[in-house]
Amino acid sequence: MITDKYIAKIEGHGSLETDFSKSQVKLHIHEGERLFEGLLVGRTIEESHWITPRICGVCPIAHNLASLRACEDGLKIEISETTELLRELMVCAQMMQSHALHLFFLSLPDYLGIDRGTELAQKNPKDFKAALDIKEVSDDIAAVVAGRNVHPTTTTIGGFHKIPTREQLEKLLQKIKQTRASAGRALNICSKIKFPELKVDLELVTQKKEKILSNKNDPSTPLRVNPSIKNYKEVITEEIRNYSTAKFGGYKGREIMVGALARLYFSDHKEKEILDFQNPFHNNIAQAIEILLYHKQAGKILEQLLASKSDFDGTSKSDFDVYASEGIGAIEAPRGGLYHELRWNNKGIITYANIITPTVQNLTSIEKSANALLEQNKEKTQKEKEHLLEMLVRAYDPCITCSVH
Amino acid sequence: MGLKPKVAIYDFTDCEGCEVEIISLRERFLDLEKQVDIVDWRLGQERKSFDSAQDKYFDIALIEGAPITQDEIDTLKWLRENSQYVIALGACAALAGIPGIMDQEKRAGWYKKIYPSTSSGQVYKPKGIDALPLSAYVKVDFAIHGCPVNAGELERIFEELLAGKKPSYRPYSVCFDCKRAGNECRIINKKICLGPITQGGCQAICISGGSPCYGCFGPREEANVEGLKQALKKFADEEEIKRYFTMFYNKNEK
Repeated sequence: MITDKYIAKIEGHGSLETDFSKSQVKLHIHEGERLFEGLLVGRTIEESHWITPRICGVCPIAHNLASLRACEDGLKIEISETTELLRELMVCAQMMQSHALHLFFLSLPDYLGIDRGTELAQKNPKDFKAALDIKEVSDDIAAVVAGRNVHPTTTTIGGFHKIPTREQLEKLLQKIKQTRASAGRALNICSKIKFPELKVDLELVTQKKEKILSNKNDPSTPLRVNPSIKNYKEVITEEIRNYSTAKFGGYKGREIMVGALARLYFSDHKEKEILDFQNPFHNNIAQAIEILLYHKQAGKILEQLLASKSDFDGTSKSDFDVYASEGIGAIEAPRGGLYHELRWNNKGIITYANIITPTVQNLTSIEKSANALLEQNKEKTQKEKEHLLEMLVRAYDPCITCSVH
Repeated sequence: MGLKPKVAIYDFTDCEGCEVEIISLRERFLDLEKQVDIVDWRLGQERKSFDSAQDKYFDIALIEGAPITQDEIDTLKWLRENSQYVIALGACAALAGIPGIMDQEKRAGWYKKIYPSTSSGQVYKPKGIDALPLSAYVKVDFAIHGCPVNAGELERIFEELLAGKKPSYRPYSVCFDCKRAGNECRIINKKICLGPITQGGCQAICISGGSPCYGCFGPREEANVEGLKQALKKFADEEEIKRYFTMFYNKNEK
């Protein structure tokens, strides 16, 4: 049976084709193809980090930074410490913006007994205030550092056209201090929710220190032996499906889950103790943990920036020459590992582009977990199963606009 | 329009950044949402509560994104039939935006490269037809411009609509915003800029951040496009100028 309806509260258009008798689910992806890898060809490298954020309005900073890294990798550009710190700050903002939007407006309403996220304002004003605080502080950081909360304007190859003033950074730090409790509250809300039980043998994959890690690789393997992000194409594979405008990704063809849950699996933060790494619904809690972690990280970076001798006057930009080259920019986006590969000629005109987004990698795992969900909930009615399936899809926080780029 | 206008928010193929801007209004969005009844919004809610017995289901259809697939084109036509006002939300809906960079005749070639057939013989069946603005298929009553839309403009236009007025476009170009922002003129500095022919209201946010203006707010009325091109030719080559004019205007150049 094809449920001919788009799943609500996910970014982009997807629907489920479910064979309840066989516990088989297909995730149909309907978004139109924009063919970003084609439309980038013929544009300049300086336009790449301007165009690619438009792949996704929820994680534009991740695309912006991935393109910049690809260009800087190819032109061997060293960036300044200030640039590095400001970019890390952008990542913190991006993670908080995206996770807060997903949790409070898309996924948590399922558990809080509301439909539209804003209904929380009536139902629990304090929780809603916390959501708005996180959204506000992360939007403010993005606006001050990247120039706008959606689609950066200040970044350029080699650094920043324009950097914030000391006064602006001080204000951001103040705001971080004022909203710490709200960041903690998001985790508090999530840790009290009883998420559906589900046990899936998840393969969790993340980028760490320029390597691609998987929990299915021998844990005693030294980090350096893991595949480098430079060899991403050998590890992160993609295939076409006749029911999807997005390709389906994997780790050497195996179903993988990327994103907050996978990142925390490979981290040593003690907050991860409450997570069940075999239950994809726990990706919601993992995102709430990350909101707090990136909130703290943003505070640290701001203090570090303010302690530096920089007068924060004007730009932060490394000089470079343009020559024909190619580069890879990889970054952990809110939903997991993102890869941009660009090639260009001696005039800096792009001749080849390849982009693999996190949601492409998650699609196979969503289907695997959906099948397991049906297997493990056979006693439930079809309606209950349908609802659980939609909640499961939302827990993965798929960004279908990213997946069909 | 009734006391509380019935609003539908739809998105076609795009980045959904304009809807993110709506949510980013935060408290101000709460105020706006009290004044309307959002009866259909896939991204924001599960509920679809429009009355199919009504002549027009929606007072206002706010549409983001470019209709690229047949399904989107059909939905757009359905929305037009069933809405009093159709409003384009953002550059993809108003101008075809970034997806519009792709020329229709080049799509087939790119499909082959981006979705290669597998060794097992599986061939990809494309769904996209062409990235065009909403106005290529239906009458659009108003466009809220920007890539993404500007929060202040979003509020202003909504207030005008809710007051029962026909919303208005800013009667000036980006140059006015840019001067007010205290930026140096890019053209005087021999950098290409589409600000002079572009509708104002963006507060020159890209130029203020150091980026170029590619004209995401759309051409302003009576814009002297040829005049600008002549001025740009004095310091830039044709290829470079063309790249600017194909960022947002590839499917709309007047």
